[in-house]
Amino acid sequence: MKNSYKTMLLFLIGLMAYIPLYAQQNVSGKVTAQEDGSGLPGVSIIIKGTSTGTVSDIDGNYSISVPGPNAVLVYSFIGYSTKEVSVGSSTQLNVVLSVEESELDEFIVTAFGISQEKKALGYAAQSIDANEITKTRQPNVVNALQGQVAGVQVTNSGGAPGQSARIIIRGINSLDPSADNQPLFVVDGVPVDNSTVEASGTPRGMSNRIADINPNDIESMSVLKGAAATALYGVRAANGAVIITTKKGKAGQVRVNFNSSVGLDNLVKMPELQDKYGQGFSGVRDDSSFWPSWGASFAEENDPNYVYQDNWNRAFDTGLQVDNSLSVSGGNESATFYASLGRLDQKGIIPFSTWDRTSAKFSGTVKVSEKFNFSGSMNYTNSGGNRVPHDRFLERMMYWSESTDVRDYINPDGTMKTYGNTNPIYDARFATYKDDVNRVIGNMNFNYSPTDWMTLSYRVGIDNYTDSREEITPGPTGIDGEVALSSTGFIEETRIVSRDLTSNFYVTLKKQWNSDWNTTLRLGNDVFERKYDRVSLSGSNFVIPGFYNVNNTTQVFASQGKSIRRLVGFYGDLMVDYKNFLFLNVTGRNDISSTLPKSNNSFFYPSVNLGYVFSENFDLPSWITFGKLRASWAQVGKDTNPHILGATFVSPSVFPLNGQVGFSRNSTFGDPELKPELTTSIEFGTQLAFFNNKANLDVTYYKSNAVDQIIPVPISDATGFSSYITNAGEIENRGWEIVLGGTPIESGDFRWDVTANLTTNKNEIKAIREGIDQIVVGSQFGYVGSTVTMILKEGEAYGNIYGSSYVRPDAPEGATELDRDLPMLIGANGFPVRTGDQLILGNAVPKFFGGLRNEFSYKGFEFSFLVDFRAGLQQYNQFGNFLAAFGKQKDSERRNDTVVFPGVLADGSENTKEVWLGQGVGPDGVDYGAGYWRNAYRAISENFVNDASYIKLRNVTLAYNLQPNVLERTPFRTARLSVAANNIILYTPWDGFDPESFSAGAGGNAVGFTGLGFPGVQSVFFTLNLGL
Amino acid sequence: MKYRNKLTAILGASVMLMTSACDSFLDVNENPNNPEDAPITGLLTNSTYETSLNVYRGGSAISNYVQYLASPNPSSSSDIMDPTDFSSTWFSLYNVMTDLDVIIKKSEEQDASHYKGAAQILMALNLGMTVDFFGDVPFSESFNFETVTPAYDSDEVLYSQILTMLDEGIANLQGSTAISMGADDFIYGGDVASWIKFGNSLKARFLLHTKGSSAYNASEILSAIDAGFTSNDDDAQVVFFEQRFNPWAQVAINNENLLLGGWISEQFVQALDGTTYPTVDPRLPLMIGTTDDGEFIGTVNGAGRGDAPEQGARSTLVPGQYYTSTLSPLLIATFAELKFIEAEAALDADKDRAYAAYLAGIEAHMDMLGVSDEDKAAYLADASVSVGADALTLDLIMKEKWVAMFLHPETWNDARRFDYAYKDMDLPANLNPDLNNQYIRRLAYPASEVSRNGNNVPSVTLLDRIWWDQ
Repeated sequence: MKNSYKTMLLFLIGLMAYIPLYAQQNVSGKVTAQEDGSGLPGVSIIIKGTSTGTVSDIDGNYSISVPGPNAVLVYSFIGYSTKEVSVGSSTQLNVVLSVEESELDEFIVTAFGISQEKKALGYAAQSIDANEITKTRQPNVVNALQGQVAGVQVTNSGGAPGQSARIIIRGINSLDPSADNQPLFVVDGVPVDNSTVEASGTPRGMSNRIADINPNDIESMSVLKGAAATALYGVRAANGAVIITTKKGKAGQVRVNFNSSVGLDNLVKMPELQDKYGQGFSGVRDDSSFWPSWGASFAEENDPNYVYQDNWNRAFDTGLQVDNSLSVSGGNESATFYASLGRLDQKGIIPFSTWDRTSAKFSGTVKVSEKFNFSGSMNYTNSGGNRVPHDRFLERMMYWSESTDVRDYINPDGTMKTYGNTNPIYDARFATYKDDVNRVIGNMNFNYSPTDWMTLSYRVGIDNYTDSREEITPGPTGIDGEVALSSTGFIEETRIVSRDLTSNFYVTLKKQWNSDWNTTLRLGNDVFERKYDRVSLSGSNFVIPGFYNVNNTTQVFASQGKSIRRLVGFYGDLMVDYKNFLFLNVTGRNDISSTLPKSNNSFFYPSVNLGYVFSENFDLPSWITFGKLRASWAQVGKDTNPHILGATFVSPSVFPLNGQVGFSRNSTFGDPELKPELTTSIEFGTQLAFFNNKANLDVTYYKSNAVDQIIPVPISDATGFSSYITNAGEIENRGWEIVLGGTPIESGDFRWDVTANLTTNKNEIKAIREGIDQIVVGSQFGYVGSTVTMILKEGEAYGNIYGSSYVRPDAPEGATELDRDLPMLIGANGFPVRTGDQLILGNAVPKFFGGLRNEFSYKGFEFSFLVDFRAGLQQYNQFGNFLAAFGKQKDSERRNDTVVFPGVLADGSENTKEVWLGQGVGPDGVDYGAGYWRNAYRAISENFVNDASYIKLRNVTLAYNLQPNVLERTPFRTARLSVAANNIILYTPWDGFDPESFSAGAGGNAVGFTGLGFPGVQSVFFTLNLGL
Repeated sequence: MKYRNKLTAILGASVMLMTSACDSFLDVNENPNNPEDAPITGLLTNSTYETSLNVYRGGSAISNYVQYLASPNPSSSSDIMDPTDFSSTWFSLYNVMTDLDVIIKKSEEQDASHYKGAAQILMALNLGMTVDFFGDVPFSESFNFETVTPAYDSDEVLYSQILTMLDEGIANLQGSTAISMGADDFIYGGDVASWIKFGNSLKARFLLHTKGSSAYNASEILSAIDAGFTSNDDDAQVVFFEQRFNPWAQVAINNENLLLGGWISEQFVQALDGTTYPTVDPRLPLMIGTTDDGEFIGTVNGAGRGDAPEQGARSTLVPGQYYTSTLSPLLIATFAELKFIEAEAALDADKDRAYAAYLAGIEAHMDMLGVSDEDKAAYLADASVSVGADALTLDLIMKEKWVAMFLHPETWNDARRFDYAYKDMDLPANLNPDLNNQYIRRLAYPASEVSRNGNNVPSVTLLDRIWWDQ
């Protein structure tokens, strides 16, 4: 809008100004783009102070008569910085325009791919462009949003190749533990699938389906946050929407871009481990013990066969990513095309983990006439890899002896080399799980404008994928003395077929009533269908060892799950623009869903928002360039999953047995009176620009209340069901989003841009249906009663983690929350006393998060870094619990110490009793059994629920663009070299692997549990871009 | 304007068209995976199958407590009687009871009295196991879905309902039926006479639990026994399948492949190898495996295997024996058990009957295992076994019953009634310190119940005894 402003302003000034007459002088030349040196067609060239002007032709050439040498020419073009040049005596003026950095703040792609002036929006929306997307070299575009957009929290679920990332906009809006709280992803106007289908057994770090999109093909991503922004996408966008616009061909010469990048991954962080004690128990060495590190001291043993192996550094590889992509684009005034090929190969840090993606895309636009145009695109992706059982890998790492080399895992005959426990690397190698996804995303768009005030648009989209998965666990090979991974062997073949069809027809009616009033009305119909079918066939007990086919097993089971969901929506959207400073937008939508009871399946929800550009009306100090206030109120309905109503019966997969098929009542019961959920949100905000757009500020307050939440409430098994799906509660999210940006320095060739964003979120469970005390979102195992549970209770915040703790005598009666500052009760045995009463030990939802981006450019050099942080959250460190159980944590080096635990005795006096921390009989003659960490420490959840805040250097990039004088001597139009690093932890109080990784995967909501998930990685990338 | 009218008309018409088409277009929510109704035959198939597995699950839960098995690792939580979360066992018990409740209701509508009777007997069995493990549990507010937080009923009250259900079940089986059971019944293949004997045998089992209460009546038990099993052929059991191995066989196979489990307690080995008792029991080599050296060596409960390797140095369950063949039956109730119930019930009033039953119980178990006549005769002739009617003690009956009920959860009920007074049985090493050197007396309520129905869950410790164990 900066551009249009300036242009308009100049235009107005021009009208009023006195135009002196001078001798005519002809100036001609070529306008080129700085980025690639190509001619820019359609550039507006105006003589400053007049309304006289011309536009450049298709090659960027122009010619204009100017009044004389004092004339100044103003070159402006959408998306580029306006440039003023004094004519002087020149008759030839070649001008280079550079891309306007903040252009995407001005126009933003909203619902249905409509590009709207941000000025006119009555709600907050933010977008990032191609450069910011590809700079971080993230294979998964969800990660590219990390730290960049206010209100948007992106979390890596782990460091596995292709592993899912989770995106949450303005907090969790559902009490349903299994709800997908993630936004709808829309590619070129067509919603696409972003589900994550985790492996059925142990977690494998599967991909979220948006990872099938090649980030190199993306032009921009906008994030529509509130319900106001998404009223037009209906129920599926109730959590917001991410609008992805892919690259299109541009009229002009054919462009070829080649991009190649190599990245190296390493563990970002490791827990502090002890390296003093080896395999055995009770301080006694035992080379075949199950216990990996409760044995003898290495120093005392002094035996080269009994030394610390540094397995935790040894077990992980350096990961490798190689990404190549090639695109060709071009066209003329009536047709354009864009075609690309991409190939990504990834090898993870856990040995034998891989993922690759091959993508091909073709898109084109055809302008048949002024009245009719159409476009279409087709994107094919093949993706998949070998997904290692990361959770089991790390569990087996826990059990593995610290004095036995974990890498020495295989015997010459191919069997596992072990002292007894299963070797994690052998398991990762042979217990395979491969997915192979073939996906086609396509769309066709037709626009017909019979008159200048009416456009009929039709868009049809398909998103079809098949996911073939094969899991193999080998059985025994029959070699004497072998330790097999499974006693029978196991194979499972899974085939998933999913097809989304969308059809969207709408009419746009535009009317300029007079110079003050401008309206646009859109009416439309939207139809969506998802068909999903998953068939699994599993077999165990291989007849011929090593021949992996279901036919080669003696026990075969099949299962099938299919579903169909259909939605029909009717909508209207009216935009009113008064004098270009007051913008009103009213929408209404009625959805009908196949998933709800027929009596309740049709629901209407409206929205209204208002934008007021007050800087147009008031005389503001000159340093305020622009000011806008905005407010919105919106509702959005939400349906549920298909086929959940009522009670049904299931046939357990074990049948048929002896020709009989058994049935059992399904343990889930769906309320036959289910109603749609309704989320009401309000939003107020302001957008300000200062010092001639050198600085800008955007502040938003949001609040949303989701009522009639559809929740599968876990209920007592004794009712006859385990889960009751019903409308059962209300949740509220509120907070602030602040975006502050500016260009502190712009002098000559040097430029410094900075953008910061900060989000706060406060969440409250306003109501849970009577009779239901609490909803369990999930729980995670901890030894001897230290299992923690994420529980939702009325009046509390989402994400509270409950578990066992130390007894604190001074805690007030009935306290529900742990107060770590109070003194602990010490028992008569000298150890702290545990209570199994479940107290709130922490909350897993961050209260603050944000990012800071700095970009510097000087001539061909670019330097940028993005720092992001999150704060105000705790999570359960399952690694810590396991490490303590197995004597691997640094603290267990104190195992021969005698200590006095600080705290009070039952009579209130201070504890003075000395106790020994080790196992067995201590120096004081007392038998301490399994010792402090196993007897006491690991049983207390409180020890493992810790602050999981961090500050990370999310990305730092140094790039060099070859300058035109050098490029002239090459065949290339552009060339860029860059080196980047990602995910470097600057600060965290967390002791463990990367605190960002969590075990639930992107689809799950139990984010507060690390599990034994795939550890996070830090990466270094080297990238080369070439343009022809 | 004309244009606009036309447009409105077209739009209006298409909207109407779509709305009417919508109804059928959107009518796709019927569940394509799970039927809305299921036949009582299929429900009985799953109920009989799952009931046998519930017996296995129960046996697996308590096998360390009664020292049949011991963990190869020291201080394993079940071995040292730590509180363990039995959420999935609880679910399995109520899941079967839910299906049985459906069978009972549906068979009433269909006059399928035999299905109703069989379902009532299985209901009594599953509810009885649940009560014996946990004490007070929900039942009166279960299955009707009027509340999501069902109240807990007194274990003593539930016991009288269990006995009523058995009586009603037996009566229904004795009457006529509109639909007869057949191959859908995995326990008896539709043999109604056996079901009636099974009902009576269970009645004897549950009545025996009440021995410590004022309501106890030995003659009631003896008359139930008279109508109960008459030979091993009557045993209530589910024979396993090529498609699904016997779960104890699976334990043995897994152990053989070093997924350790099924290690035999030293207590059990010594009771049968001539250490604790003077005789060497011929059943020992038919029930458990030996070390590589052919010896029987057990593992001390709670202590772990010490320096023994994973394989070959301790006795474990091994594949292919009576309890551990892939196609072995899971035993729900046996003729042998009934004979020991008879021995105990008759012990005070009719020593001769008690002694005869005691010997018959041993013999029945030996026949089941396939002990040779020679070995059987030798064992039964041993002075420490054939003590004579007058010298028969409860200790002897309990010892033999303990052997004959190998891996069965009923043994934990016996152990608690008997105060774990088996000869030379010691508390496990590294016992849960909260137990104050006493044996565990109940299972902790499962975490799922505490979190979903917390207000109703009674507050108890592992030392609090259930009603018949006072």
